[in-house]
Amino acid sequence: MSVTVRLPGALRDATGGETKLSASGGTLREVIAEIDRRHPGFASRVLDEGGALRSYVNVYIGEDDARTRGGSGAAVPDGSEVMVIPAMAGGR
Amino acid sequence: MRLVLPREVRDEIVAHARESAPRECCGLLFGDGEVVARLVRGRNVHPTPETRYEIDPAQLREAIASNDDTDRFLVGIYHSHPRTEPKPSEFDIANARWPQQVYVLTSLRSEPPEVFAYRITGSEAPKIPIVES
Repeated sequence: MSVTVRLPGALRDATGGETKLSASGGTLREVIAEIDRRHPGFASRVLDEGGALRSYVNVYIGEDDARTRGGSGAAVPDGSEVMVIPAMAGGR
Repeated sequence: MRLVLPREVRDEIVAHARESAPRECCGLLFGDGEVVARLVRGRNVHPTPETRYEIDPAQLREAIASNDDTDRFLVGIYHSHPRTEPKPSEFDIANARWPQQVYVLTSLRSEPPEVFAYRITGSEAPKIPIVES
């Protein structure tokens, strides 16, 4: 299954500057792993040591927050657009 | 590098900061390249908004979903420091994950409030000039 992955923000550092990629996989974890094979180190920027989404990364599958659909185990339908969005956060 | 910021957008940033105090406000600045055209107020969803901000990720997704060229049309991010100086804190720098965007900060510490702009990349946060339009 093929999906489009968009990477606004700093995560392009992990993909050689690419901000829009095609990838395959039936779950979010599989999609991330497939990108990691092409861009080693990508997965560790998105997933923690336990394989869960890092707290400062928000992932949307279409309009749905992946955390509401099982986190990194969320199903990714064929043709989906996946957006991996770093948190916009800070403070004094 | 500079940021072209219309007077009315600058005033809206300050107005948002005043209305949100003592909580931090935050939002998005849209335009083209280094030129801001409009502001979208953000929802600060951080659990301790008096000292932290996080723009509602759903609002962020909605704002950038319609255009692939985020680097160009999302010019910057703004937030307020209600009681501290208008420069990036260590926490701001450690959590800055949008290196292509300008970070605009306002502080209510002084009257009238100051507004400054920064580029945050890695551990560096140089100030960049604001040109009023």
